[in-house]
Amino acid sequence: VEFVTLLDPVQMPGQRGRVLQWPYVEGLRMDEARNPLTILAVGMYGEQLTAQNGAPIRLVVPWKYGFKSGKSLAKIRFVDAEPRTAWNISAPQEYGFYANVNPDVDHPRWSQARERRLGEFLPRRTVVFNGYGDQVAGLYAGMDLRRNY
Amino acid sequence: MKPIAIVKPVLFAAAAAPAVALAWNAYTGDLTANPVDYITDQTGSWALACLIVSLGVTPFRRLTGWNDVIKVRRMLGLFAFFYATLHMLTWVTLVSFFDVPTMIEDVTMRPFITVGMATFLILLVLAITSNRASIRRLGRRWQTLHRLVYLAGLGGVIHFWWLVKADTTEPQRWAVALAALLGFRAWWTWRTRTLSRF
Repeated sequence: VEFVTLLDPVQMPGQRGRVLQWPYVEGLRMDEARNPLTILAVGMYGEQLTAQNGAPIRLVVPWKYGFKSGKSLAKIRFVDAEPRTAWNISAPQEYGFYANVNPDVDHPRWSQARERRLGEFLPRRTVVFNGYGDQVAGLYAGMDLRRNY
Repeated sequence: MKPIAIVKPVLFAAAAAPAVALAWNAYTGDLTANPVDYITDQTGSWALACLIVSLGVTPFRRLTGWNDVIKVRRMLGLFAFFYATLHMLTWVTLVSFFDVPTMIEDVTMRPFITVGMATFLILLVLAITSNRASIRRLGRRWQTLHRLVYLAGLGGVIHFWWLVKADTTEPQRWAVALAALLGFRAWWTWRTRTLSRF
């Protein structure tokens, strides 16, 4: 499944820069998309989504790194090949398609073994799949998660 | 009263202001939603800023002929070291939480941290030998030693460039500033040597 974010440099001035290729594209495998933890969100903390959090509708994939959770979705397509995603286009050796939270697989330039949660001051150990291993580890049975980063 | 007698204290206040602002923000709890990153970014940026400005003193002096301005060069260099020390200590305490194995792994396996640590060590050596006693004791070798500041400038820019995720706009700006300043010095040296032949 391919998730395409709105392309509107007027509303989103950041899209005038060339840090990433716009529109922002993300994707999931069909079984990942069908997992109950994959959410199309319209609100947050009991309120409607704000613009900066991806209004009016955004993807939330809690066991993957944040860049997988595309915001302000404008188009959802079913495609037969793994789509090229925004960060993967920008730095393919650093941002893979799967992007599962994994303390054992370093980013090429820094470690992923520790994380800091917003609101907490000190770092803590990263948990594989962000702690959702029970629900999602089965999706990757037999896969080499270092090669499929 | 000579202008330098006003310029130097004013520059001191300007260079110290970011540290004061940071301390004030820490006191009022206004360190953004990600305080550790904010402190690290601020101290790092101001270290680089002071370093680049200190590298601009001699070109400024040569272009304007205002010799007294050299008196602010050491002060700015030491401010760069001051912010670099805070930046490094932030990494030791708030990022690594004194975890030595992690710190060793970071310095040896993350190139941007390797370069950052090397740059800090250069600044440390320059700071220690910045006093008049060192200048007297080292003589001509002091000048050679303190040319390491060019390497420190380069190291700072590379450290910054290698740690950003994808948006290299800011590191690019610093790289351009550094290139301009070092380019000016290279041109001046070439010019002096060429003209002195006649």
